This record gives sequence, C-alpha cells and structure tokens, in this order.
Amino acid sequence: MPYDEPEPDDPQVLVGVTVPGDAESAREMAAAFADEFARMGFGRRQILALFRSPRYAGAHDALARLGDVEVARVVDESLGVWGQVRLAVEDAPTAPGSAADAGPVDSGRFLKVLK
Amino acid sequence: MPQVNNWQLGRDMGYVYDAKYPARQFAFVFNINRCIACQTCTMACKSTWTFSKGQEHMWWANVESKPYGGYPQSWDAKILRMLEEANPGEQRWSEPASADNGQPYGQYDGQTIFEAAEQTLTPDSARVLGYLPPDEEWNSPNIYEDNPVGGRGVRDRLHETGEQLPIHNTWFFYLARICNHCSYPACLAACPRKAIYKRPEDGIVLIDQEQCRGYRKCVEACPYKKAMYRGNTRTTEKCIACYPRVEGTDPESDGQPMETRCMASCIGQIRMQGLVQLNDDGSWAEDRQNPLYYLVHVAKVALPLYPQLGTQPNGYYIPPRWVPRPYLRQMFGPGVDEAIERYVNPDRELLAVLQLFRRSNKIIFRYEFEEGPQVYEGTLRGRPVTLYNDTVIAFGSDGNELFRTTVEEPLHVRPEQHANSI
Ligand code: SF4
Ligand code: SF4
Ligand code: SF4
Repeated sequence: MPYDEPEPDDPQVLVGVTVPGDAESAREMAAAFADEFARMGFGRRQILALFRSPRYAGAHDALARLGDVEVARVVDESLGVWGQVRLAVEDAPTAPGSAADAGPVDSGRFLKVLK
Repeated sequence: MPQVNNWQLGRDMGYVYDAKYPARQFAFVFNINRCIACQTCTMACKSTWTFSKGQEHMWWANVESKPYGGYPQSWDAKILRMLEEANPGEQRWSEPASADNGQPYGQYDGQTIFEAAEQTLTPDSARVLGYLPPDEEWNSPNIYEDNPVGGRGVRDRLHETGEQLPIHNTWFFYLARICNHCSYPACLAACPRKAIYKRPEDGIVLIDQEQCRGYRKCVEACPYKKAMYRGNTRTTEKCIACYPRVEGTDPESDGQPMETRCMASCIGQIRMQGLVQLNDDGSWAEDRQNPLYYLVHVAKVALPLYPQLGTQPNGYYIPPRWVPRPYLRQMFGPGVDEAIERYVNPDRELLAVLQLFRRSNKIIFRYEFEEGPQVYEGTLRGRPVTLYNDTVIAFGSDGNELFRTTVEEPLHVRPEQHANSI
C-alpha cells in the first residue's frame, strides 16, 4: 500500500473496475474461515479474535460487513460440527542416530494443550 | 511445431520441442481457503536463496491479494489480454469433462501461448506469446497487497491497529505462487541458448547459469513471470524447487526426500508437495494412494492455475469457496464448480487426506486410510455431516510410516479460562 494518497498521473495506480461483492460472498468467506479454523481445533474465543484483528484482513472485512452477531452465529455453526472432534497426530518413532527432522507441525498435540 | 499431449486442456497442442517426460514430476497442492497472507513462505524462500546483491526484486515465492495485487503487476491480466487479442472471442472451453476420454476438465478450444505465437508472431525469433514487464512492474512487490506498513519515516514498527492495510470493498483472496515447474515450460521453449532444462529425475526446471547470457527471452515467455533477470550477473534466475531437499541430499533430510522451504514453513498449513508418477504421454499415472493424485484426480478438488496458457503447470489449487465463479473459472478452468462442491461437503476420505497437510516435512509418497466408528452426525448450513473416528497414515519414500492422524472421540470442551487446569 502506498504511503500517500495515490496521484492521478502515477503510472502504478490501479486502473480498472471493482468487481462487486455481496453479503452472500462475505458470509461465505466468514463461513470458510470459521470452518477452516474450527477444523484446525481453534476454540470460539480464538476464532472470534481472528475476526476482530484488523491485521487479518479477510476475516476482519467480513466482520465489518456482517456485524458481530452474524459472525458469532457463523462461528457457532462451524464449531457445532467441527468442534465435536479433535485430531491427534502421532509421529512414527525416529530411527536412532538420525539427523533431527525440523519436525512436523504438530498442531494436533499443540491444540490439545490449548483446549 | 511438434504436437504434445496436454491432458489439462484435453487435447494435443503445439510445443516447440518433442515431448519428453521425467521419471517423476515435482508437483504441489495449495489450499487457498486457508492462506492468511502471512508471507512466511515468501520470506523462507527469500532468506534461503535470494538475499544477495542484485536479487532484491526476486521473490521466487510470493503471495498476491487477488484480484488487486500481482507480482509483477497485473501479470495475469496482461497475458490473458494478449491471448484474447490474438484470438478474439474464441478463448473458450468446450466438451463436457470426461476422465475416460482423458479430458478431466473438458477440452480447451482456444489458443495457448505457443499456438498464438505461431499464428501471430514471426516464427523462430519469438516462439512464445509473452511480454517483458517494465522495471516499475517489478519495483513494488507489495503494491495493492494486504501487507501492513509502518507510519511514514518509522522503521521496524507496524501501526498499532493495522489501519494502514488497504480496505477492499469486495471479495478477495490470497494466491500463493512459485514456479510451476511446468511440463511444457515456456521459459525453456523460448531460450535461444538452450540454457534451461527440465531434470529427468524430478521434472524440476532449472537455468544453467554457465550457459545463460541474460537475453531475457524466458522472462518474456513465462506466462507466470517466474523467471527473473539479475542485473549484476546478467543472467536470469528462478525457483530451483529447493532441489537439495527434494533429492534428500540436504543435511536435514536423512536421505529422504523433503518438502521445499516455502512448503515446510507454511503457517496456514495450506501446502503439500510431492513427486508424482507419469504415463508415457505425460499424464499422471494412476497412483491411488498418493495424496496429490487423490486430490487432483480422484477427489478433483485441486485445479491447475490458468491451464489455458498451455504450459501444463504442476501447481494445483483448491479454489476459494467464496469467490464469484466466473473469476475462478477463468483462473482454474471449468472444474471449479465441482471442486468447490466437493470441498465444502467433503467425504470421509477427503477429510482424512486434508489432515496430511504439513504434519511432516518429509514428502508423503503414499497414505493409508483406516475407517473407524461414527462419532458425530448432524447438519451444517442445511447439509448433513457425519464424522468418523478415521485414521490416516502417511508413508515416506522408503515405505516407512511418517505419522498418523486420528479423529478422536467426541470432546468435552472445558471452559477456556480453565483450559490448562488439571
Ligand atoms: S512457471 Fe514459468 S519459469 Fe516456471 S517452468 Fe513454467 S514457464 Fe518456466
Ligand atoms: S521451492 Fe524453494 S526455491 Fe522455489 S519458491 Fe519455494 S523456497 Fe523458493
Ligand atoms: S506461509 Fe502459507 S499461509 Fe502464510 S502466506 Fe504463505 S502460503 Fe499463505
């Protein structure tokens, strides 16, 4: 993002038209994020925190357009299904003397602690 | 021009050289629904391969905020427009998809960048339709991107609340990109010195730095703009697919093929990379238990990026489910509707395979899926959902197990304020 307001004769200014979105695509975007993070094992507070963070632009934009109540409803819908189960990841035992693997991203076990 | 089989287009097409295929092909699947544009992948590549003088503008891995951003700017809109001008109104798909006919996405009746070049450019001097981006299109990799900046003149600090991020008043998504190590590379086709080659063992496309004289024909030809010119060496460089890791010669790898830096570092767990087996005509050999084969050819949730360009790219994407379909069909071809339908309503095997993403840095060559008892039945947004206590087991190149992921019994969720109490 440029630091200043764009200048009309700046050759790098985007020239084009915006493709209109609608409430349905915002709701679907919110549902997609809620489903993905619920499947990864995030809890309600964690998912809502993502939506509130202005640095997570997609979710935050959906929150701005849909409002707190609607986003909370979408998140609860996702958690109602994906929050019912959790995933456990088990590594195969490493051969003795092998170089240390950078290791799996062990979100399964990490999430157990979070919960 | 010799004819080669492009299975993504469902037909033969003209290419500069006769077909020749590697023993196995480097390929990857990115799940766009999960990408958070953290740019960790981008920085992992940068800090490994392109941190030297003269490489400042080289982002072999990058993540774009579509439809606004692009690096170099508007790379996709520009090449699509050139193709449209070469073949007005005719850049279309026809024929219904039929895996039996070798047309999983139907048939593309428009012109590829190779075919359009043959029709519109003087042969031999230019073999591929393309363009050389001017310097200003390479200069600002974060223009129109969702990358926070600090206040003017303030270094190393972001705005407290991130309000300097651009606000998009419409849909958008993040498209992570690397070189597609194409089956019919445009960069290779265009190089007058034959300095670019595709490795017979894994299909990784490399530029021989001894042979390159910096003519930039590859930069002009690559429709994805993943070949990048380096002024201080006067040669062109590109993504090398972290080949020491893929070969298993990296000290960290224990001799086992390992996923690349940008894959291994992915925070959103959107990436899976593999090596796939090929038939004699370059299509994917049936390998039912390979997770990439499953995602691309069985579940069909992962689709090639701009297949109509004709290079048969080996990067596949699970399309973002909230984005208007015409845009997605242009970007990923006619398979989009089916892919999203299946992704939104995954069956139990697809759910299990999605659990393989980023659980290990070793390349998964095979998975096994063990069915368990039903643990949940209900509905989500009006559709029935059933969950099972299934297990998915991943195996490496030596046939040994890497890890297993299991769905556990219904969970009693503690109130979060007591999460860690005994
Ligand atoms: S993406 Fe571009 S640079 Fe990479 S192999 Fe294909 S044509 Fe070549
Ligand atoms: S595969 Fe390796 S070289 Fe290529 S973009 Fe990723 S990190 Fe960079
Ligand atoms: S590291 Fe993964 S989640 Fe982050 S920007 Fe890259 S692809 Fe997206």
